[in-house]
Amino acid sequence: MMTPLEIKGAMVAVITSAVILVATFTAGGFYRTRYETETQPGAKPLATENLAVKGRSYFLQSCAHCHGRDADGGEDAPSLLKLQISSAHMALVIHSGIKGEMPSFAKKYNEQDLAALVAYLKTLH
Amino acid sequence: MIPWDKLHGAMTHFPIALLLFSTACDFVSVMLRKLPFARELRSVSLYALAVAALASLGAVISGIALSKGDLWGRGDFGWHHRFVWPAFGLLVALAVWRLVVREAMSRFGLCLYLCLMLLASGLVAAAGYFGGELLLSGGGVP
Repeated sequence: MMTPLEIKGAMVAVITSAVILVATFTAGGFYRTRYETETQPGAKPLATENLAVKGRSYFLQSCAHCHGRDADGGEDAPSLLKLQISSAHMALVIHSGIKGEMPSFAKKYNEQDLAALVAYLKTLH
Repeated sequence: MIPWDKLHGAMTHFPIALLLFSTACDFVSVMLRKLPFARELRSVSLYALAVAALASLGAVISGIALSKGDLWGRGDFGWHHRFVWPAFGLLVALAVWRLVVREAMSRFGLCLYLCLMLLASGLVAAAGYFGGELLLSGGGVP
């Protein structure tokens, strides 16, 4: 069986791990809430509306020729209506692209531009 | 602006490599315990594990920043996280336990520790696999 030192070590290990995981999830949750609030339609009506308008112009410029002007899909690209993924996930896909299917827009759009695109995509729900 | 994608890519490889290396050192030192450097191997595995746990903090922080705090998600993104969080928790716990116990391990403690190291290695490898898929598929949208 385990020695007293091992049991003590296990207790310290479990507590440390739990504290770090709770801190991680708290920080992550806080970050996500802030990001979702910034890109949520209706949260800050004017700011978000402007962001979505800006996002729509980026969409027409870079995405519409594959995904369609109304984002309802094209011959080679799927519809973006009613996407079931989070804002962060949308930003990640636009940022990184999809190998062999969709180019990365990391060099073309910065973080604010991505937030605008995401805000627009969320209006399509 | 901080390039979190590049930072995350750079930081994740340290804990992955160090954990696998530490596990390998532990197994070699146990299987070949009569080797003159078996004790040194155990020390190397201890420090590799401690550095892996520290490095995993950087990997997790850069990952949270990259995913804008989305800690679960769907598709490959979700699978990456389903393996990352248990791996991270287990890695930290194993490193702390090992630093407390050091060489004073019972036979049962050593067996349990080795099993958990194998489990952590498997979880980290799976998290790394889905992380790589995310990079190749750009988010793995289902």
